[in-house]
Amino acid sequence: MSQAPLDRAKSEITFTVNEKLETVHVYAMERLLDVLRHELGLTGTKEGCGEGECGSCSVLIDGMLVNSCLIPALQANDTKIVTIEGLAADGRLQILQEAFLVCGGAQCGICTPGMILASLHLLEKKPQPTLEEIREGLSGNLCRCTGYIQIFEAVADAARRGAST
Amino acid sequence: MKAYPAEFELVAPRTLPDALSLLAREPGGWLPVAGGTDVMVQYSAGKLPARKLVSIWNLPELRRIEVTADEIQIGAGCTYTDLREHELINREFPLLSSSASWTGGIANQNRGTLGGNIINASPAADSLPALLVYEADLLLVSARGERRVPYVGFHIGYRKTQLAAGELIRAICLKTQFSGYYAHARKVGARNAQAISKVCLAALGLLADGVVDDIRLAMGSIAPIPVRLSETERIVKGKHIDPLLIQSARTMAASEVRPIDDIRSSARYRAAVAGNLVAEFLEQLGARGLRSENAKNVLARWNGLEQGKAAEEILPCCGSKAWAHGMAARRPLLHEAALLAACDEVWKGLPEADWLEAFRSHPRIGDSLSPTSAPARSAAWSGQEQQKVGAAGEDVKIALAAGNRAYEQKFNRIFIVCAAGKSAHEILEILRRRLQNDEITELNQAAEQQRHIARLRLKKWLSS
Repeated sequence: MSQAPLDRAKSEITFTVNEKLETVHVYAMERLLDVLRHELGLTGTKEGCGEGECGSCSVLIDGMLVNSCLIPALQANDTKIVTIEGLAADGRLQILQEAFLVCGGAQCGICTPGMILASLHLLEKKPQPTLEEIREGLSGNLCRCTGYIQIFEAVADAARRGAST
Repeated sequence: MKAYPAEFELVAPRTLPDALSLLAREPGGWLPVAGGTDVMVQYSAGKLPARKLVSIWNLPELRRIEVTADEIQIGAGCTYTDLREHELINREFPLLSSSASWTGGIANQNRGTLGGNIINASPAADSLPALLVYEADLLLVSARGERRVPYVGFHIGYRKTQLAAGELIRAICLKTQFSGYYAHARKVGARNAQAISKVCLAALGLLADGVVDDIRLAMGSIAPIPVRLSETERIVKGKHIDPLLIQSARTMAASEVRPIDDIRSSARYRAAVAGNLVAEFLEQLGARGLRSENAKNVLARWNGLEQGKAAEEILPCCGSKAWAHGMAARRPLLHEAALLAACDEVWKGLPEADWLEAFRSHPRIGDSLSPTSAPARSAAWSGQEQQKVGAAGEDVKIALAAGNRAYEQKFNRIFIVCAAGKSAHEILEILRRRLQNDEITELNQAAEQQRHIARLRLKKWLSS
């Protein structure tokens, strides 16, 4: 069987996603967001604006918060990625995820995966953030439901309960 | 998503020389992409003319920050986060780290690069006015070699630069020559994060003998490229700052800028804001000059007092007699920085008993009376520092009172926090957190808070 001409232009990308080694064959300029959703079926990462403004596609690459809609697949080669699916272990939610539930930090849910990853990134850098630091840490993530207050409370609550440890 | 990934080629050389030889083989044929925060937006919108891209993200040669005796070289591939987290940049080039802090949000700061900001050449780019006032140089590199050019003049028109085909910015060089300058950055936009500036200002000012010895003003979003306001600088330089000068500078700045109407703002609004931002900067610079004159006078008088009197005068700033005597013994202290440095040293060298004495001079958070009878001045300062707590709702006050009781039972002293500017809610959060501490950790945290309180009070004392 001969390959279709376009397939020859695809690149082999190997990366660790949620602690699992993955290899995909995709176009180098495919967005990481699409690779995660379509190739790996990780649909927890959402597309909002698709231009790096809303934060709903946030994931961690090598511990850094990024908008996966702005990452070409090739730049994700050899990296370690964490998506929302990588947070809960053995069917148990992380402290941070629980805090979002308890405090009412999620409503329609589109921004939630990105909010939680941005919060995780913040708490890793600043385990006990002030309200100002929480607001800044989440300033690239838009929510059109909650009015943000419950989200900020969820992060403060998770920090109090040692989410970063 | 309006682009077809199959139509695009992207390669990722491992080293800078590899990237440069690729660019040299086909000058202008490849578009470099670093963190993607600009290029990928155009790509997804179907507006990227290039079809062949070369990734320069994370090339080690572009991600370094090198510090020499008289300058700092920032690799063009350093991200806004790299800038914000670099101690020397924060200290010596605060205009750069503050503009980095309001570029995009955290995710974009983790990917967007200083070199990319320059090459993208947006008139609204937040970091570029800072590079203008610091008079940065650029190191441009190609397969043929490297050249150093002043950043001013690099942008030659709307989204046009002097970069030659096959060239990349390797580093941005800033001379460390601005100690003593007052630095002021301001962004006016719908919000700090994500929103693009309507007007942004980076300003440096140096006062000598009451007049403006040097002034540098640069703005974004008010012309096709970021520009220095040289006419405004000219009329301010060498003058004493007074309301008349501020008014002429405001008028000059508003007429010197060349803004346009666009979706974010109108030309008229931008010109008015440009004038106001310059006026605001000059007011602050002038006030700073007065403060430093005033501080010098307060210190000169205090330096002349006998030891006991000097200690007594400064005691309300901290509450520990040993601290007050230690400070008085270190005279003469000639300016604010020396006073604050002495404060830190004396405080950190004190035994626990003296720390505890200082703690006892404060009222409980939420109360107005301290356990020991504090001087009137200390009590008045406590009132100001706890102003926001007084305005809190009853439920928070009750929770604070309960927290105070729990703290006192556990640690056998009152809870010390630098309350200035903090709301009752924030203080309650801190109190609950610190209740979890063990004795040693907590003692050190309380002492650290007391040090902050003392520094704030010393500054107030200097302005009295």
